[in-house]
Amino acid sequence: MRRLSILAGATAVLAASAVLTAPTRAAAAAGEITVLAEDIPAGLDYDGPSAAIPTSQTGMVNLMEPLVYYKTKPANSEGIGLLSFGFADANFEGRLAESWTYDPKTFTWTFKLRKGVKGCGGATFNADDVVYTFARAKSVSGAAPIGWFLSNVASIANFTPDVLGADKAKAAEAQKLGDEVKKIDDFTVAIKQSAPNKLFLPVLTIFGLGIFDKETMEKNKTATDPWSHEFANNTNVPSFGPYCLDKWTKNSEFVVKGNTDYYRGAPKVTRVVYRKVPQSSNRLAAVQRGEAQLVERLTPKEFDSVRKAKGVKVAGVIGNENLFVHMNFKTPPFDNVKVRQAVAYALDYKKIIANGYFGQATKSKGPIPSSYPGFSVSKNQYDTNIEKAKTLLKEAGYKDKGDILLSYVSEKQSILLPIATQIKADLAKVGIKVKLDPLPQTQYGDRQLVKKDLQFALNDQEKPIGVDAGYATLLFFVSSEKGGLNNMVNYSSPKVDDLFAKVKNEADDKTRNTELAEIQDQLMADLAWLPVVELKTQWAFSDKLTGLAWHPDSSIRWNDLKYAG
Amino acid sequence: MTRFVARRLVIAVVQVAAITIAVFLLIRALPADPVATRVGFNASPDVYRKAKADLGLDRSTLSQLGTYLGGSGTERGLLAGNLGTSWASGSTVASEIGDALPITLELISLSFLLAGAIAIPLGMRTARRPGKALDKAVFGYGLFAGAAPEFWWGLMLVFVFYFKLGWAPAPLGRLSPQLQAPTQRTGAILIDSLLAGRLDAFWDGLRHLILPVVTLAFVLSGPIMKMVRQSMTRVLGSDFVLYAQAAGLPPRQVSRSTLRAAFGPVLTLTSILYGFMLGGAVLVESVFSLGGLGQYSVKSVLEFNYPSIQGVVLVITVLSLVIYLVLDVLLALLDPRARHR
Amino acid sequence: MTATAPTVGHPKRPHRLIAAARRDPLLTIGLCIVALSIFLALFGTLIAPKSPTEPTGAPSEHPSLSHWMGTDASGLDVFSQVISAPRTDVVLAVSAALVSSVLGTLIGLTAGYFRTWWAEVVMRISDVLQAFPVFILGMMLVALSGRNTGNLIVALSLLYTPIFIRLTRAEVLTQRNRSYVESARAMGNSEWKIAFRHVLPNSLAPSLIQLSVTVGFGILLTAGLSYVGAGVRPPTPEWGLMISSSANQLILGEWWPSVFPGLAISFTVFGFAAVGNAIERRVGG
Repeated sequence: MRRLSILAGATAVLAASAVLTAPTRAAAAAGEITVLAEDIPAGLDYDGPSAAIPTSQTGMVNLMEPLVYYKTKPANSEGIGLLSFGFADANFEGRLAESWTYDPKTFTWTFKLRKGVKGCGGATFNADDVVYTFARAKSVSGAAPIGWFLSNVASIANFTPDVLGADKAKAAEAQKLGDEVKKIDDFTVAIKQSAPNKLFLPVLTIFGLGIFDKETMEKNKTATDPWSHEFANNTNVPSFGPYCLDKWTKNSEFVVKGNTDYYRGAPKVTRVVYRKVPQSSNRLAAVQRGEAQLVERLTPKEFDSVRKAKGVKVAGVIGNENLFVHMNFKTPPFDNVKVRQAVAYALDYKKIIANGYFGQATKSKGPIPSSYPGFSVSKNQYDTNIEKAKTLLKEAGYKDKGDILLSYVSEKQSILLPIATQIKADLAKVGIKVKLDPLPQTQYGDRQLVKKDLQFALNDQEKPIGVDAGYATLLFFVSSEKGGLNNMVNYSSPKVDDLFAKVKNEADDKTRNTELAEIQDQLMADLAWLPVVELKTQWAFSDKLTGLAWHPDSSIRWNDLKYAG
Repeated sequence: MTRFVARRLVIAVVQVAAITIAVFLLIRALPADPVATRVGFNASPDVYRKAKADLGLDRSTLSQLGTYLGGSGTERGLLAGNLGTSWASGSTVASEIGDALPITLELISLSFLLAGAIAIPLGMRTARRPGKALDKAVFGYGLFAGAAPEFWWGLMLVFVFYFKLGWAPAPLGRLSPQLQAPTQRTGAILIDSLLAGRLDAFWDGLRHLILPVVTLAFVLSGPIMKMVRQSMTRVLGSDFVLYAQAAGLPPRQVSRSTLRAAFGPVLTLTSILYGFMLGGAVLVESVFSLGGLGQYSVKSVLEFNYPSIQGVVLVITVLSLVIYLVLDVLLALLDPRARHR
Repeated sequence: MTATAPTVGHPKRPHRLIAAARRDPLLTIGLCIVALSIFLALFGTLIAPKSPTEPTGAPSEHPSLSHWMGTDASGLDVFSQVISAPRTDVVLAVSAALVSSVLGTLIGLTAGYFRTWWAEVVMRISDVLQAFPVFILGMMLVALSGRNTGNLIVALSLLYTPIFIRLTRAEVLTQRNRSYVESARAMGNSEWKIAFRHVLPNSLAPSLIQLSVTVGFGILLTAGLSYVGAGVRPPTPEWGLMISSSANQLILGEWWPSVFPGLAISFTVFGFAAVGNAIERRVGG
């Protein structure tokens, strides 16, 4: 027995050391890269249950092709490619659409479609695919109707809330696509708006209106699922994009290979392994050791630690990410504007930028991303001023009960905990005692969007995906009664509501911008949200990888990349 | 014997039914639902209402329970063997658990094998020579190994063997990123790679399992060793061993019969620990990003993903109860007296 | 109940304890650690050199003279957190162990002594509780009732009660056939009186041994729950929370915010286990 166990032990040790010291495998073949993120696509249907998750969107944008997209701009000083945002035709380039015309009398857009475009299964693209895409969006048959929502926001005719009506028969009628999206011939489609609305071309660039390959979708429909949600969500999303799905193991990895028939030329990176690595520190280690070529969403501290590492580059852009403090207008003491202002004056912005973001952030000048058209610097700004904060609290008659909870998403604690701790200390200096309250993402989302009862929250994930100050206003600041969608702090300002009603269908750019500037002044006077810092969206990647570009959804288009490995 | 097993099976079915209903009610008492995450950035009241109705959450709890058990329309219910569809991903819960369970089974089975290989010989040896240096060392090890949380040991091992020395592979899951996984048959990489004749995947899979298995085995071997030592000591002092020795039976034969007699308590402890580890290996799984059942269950709770929580609790409970049942049968076979307890 | 009931063999008088400790160095170490952790649970926050919940230095400072164990990513002093944590960890684990041992012993006694349908129900419910995945149960309970110490005590107690039920019941099953039970019955005592006056004190040994071990388990499980996000709220000083929020920094070479709390857990659990072991040898062995 004894001899046996010694023998077994010795063998085990030998085997273990042999396995442990075996040479690490050679790096990937040229043109193949490994990308690591905290998750991989959970589903690929943009009207499906996981479309709000950034990593699911990454899957969609790399497999699907839009009608039009923003033109590119020269890269920033860090080498990250940029897009030319705006509303004019000159801001856009045709993708599946080759060209388009707009008739201001009938609010109708006529698209000439590209010929000879081939999808992954060999399907060819024509007008039927476009009509199918909008018909499916209007059917609101998925878990979350994003296609309909974007069409509605852009005032596409008849995409009204009637499709969601409580009366089933009426709703079913409203869900049928009429001639607002019309096939003129095999390569011409006309889309009609109900009123002029600047957001039309911008929403067509968003992942939630990517064009489906109708043929393959219809092959996979079932009696209970005529719009093939199950197929698109769990098997594959057929479209005409640069990549084709090769292998998808949910919760583990997502492998794509280049679409050799892609109409803009086969992608230079021919195979991408997108892998789930939940801990950011592990993603960091992998890129440092050359086991991955690109990693997403590290903490600012981790990005900072590899900034000077050999073989690894870190680059980023101040795009549309902000850190906000939300104060609920329905919950004391934050129903008092003086208390909100006192909080704004109490924060030590310099320390937050230095200790929380390692310098990769700037103080926000307003609640709208500064890169967006329509952004203007508000005249109401708040800089650190402890005395002023104390005076304001005294004027407000504030009495500390020590029961304020500062909520944040617990999954983001490695970024937000140090900042929350800093804010807690800053507020303690002016006599506001807060407790920290990390909540799981789902619970946070439920309380923020549905119950709207978060009293005091720290949030770095609100970025309007439609690139426009007006869209951001509608999303976050218009009162719920006037159609505001995600007004999470119960903010209600008649002035903002009225101004937005004008902005919505304003055809003149200059007037529109003046109205938007007025809105932003009001938002900062009321401190609807307290914008803390604008932060860099960053990536760490192999120095042999070039061509990274930033897109408003923060998903890398792998087709932008070149790898000289 | 048959009656004993039949009786236990009936009880187990009642237990599973009770736990299913209890979990169903408990989940619905949770302070949030996943609708907000599904609708994402478009949470207008209309959309929310529709999404909620799609999940059946607008109906009474009792009617929801009816649908869950009995199904509705073409969709089969739990009674027909359908665990439902995950609200977070839209895949079936059965397929997601089918992916996660083999990873956990592979991890904990290997850990128990390693723990047993260390604990049983050492425990037996120290029982025979109590009070010697080895006994004291082993005793200290038992107290020490179990004294720190396993995720801490895991982190320390990763820190030393991966970050500092670079010997171990990155704690990034079951296989290196560039390696093609072998065709999935059982879901356990080691078995699948052998079945597919993929030695490269086998070695790579083994490399990735070393640190997590060592971590778990380190923690598990303590209590097992203690139990082996205790029951061996008791058996060694019992009449039948003294008699066998006095009768001059060869030591090897005495060893064998003592081992058998001491086996019961060790087996009991091992199976209880094994059942616990099905969901309890989560800490080690998340340190090494293995994606096993424990991680899946924690993710389901964090996402308020009702069907997944329900499914994973059901699977773990059923497996544990099966293990306990097998244990009782084995104990009854080892010791006929237990049958009548 | 347990406090007034006499233990089986040896009543614990101080001088005996000292004598025992002198003979058994392991017990000495164990008692010292237990005493230290109780001392820190009471006075840790008072003697901490810095505030354990507010930034008192730059983030991620190395251990130095002003910060003996360095600072974490938020700039909190690690040493002050480590010595303030027993207020949460030890109190939580000891309370959960006490609650579950009292509950478990009482239920186990009734289930073992009165062999009715009640016994069967209790045992089958314990089966299920033990088969239930512990982290799911813990996380659901904490999600249901919020992240605070009281709720964690309830969650831990629920998990540990079945162990005490089993241990007590097994012991009661052997005790109830002893002759002293017969004689008590012959003297006309009621069944309840026999159960509580006579059988209970004689069946306490396994629970007493288990008690100390359970405190250790409680500390480990609290840390584990913190690691999966179901522990107390930050910045409450708690060892598991400290490890989980600093685990990310290990790769950056910042070992101090996760190594020190891990060592603190090891020492404490080791101390309680050593004491439990000594009790076991004297009482149960």
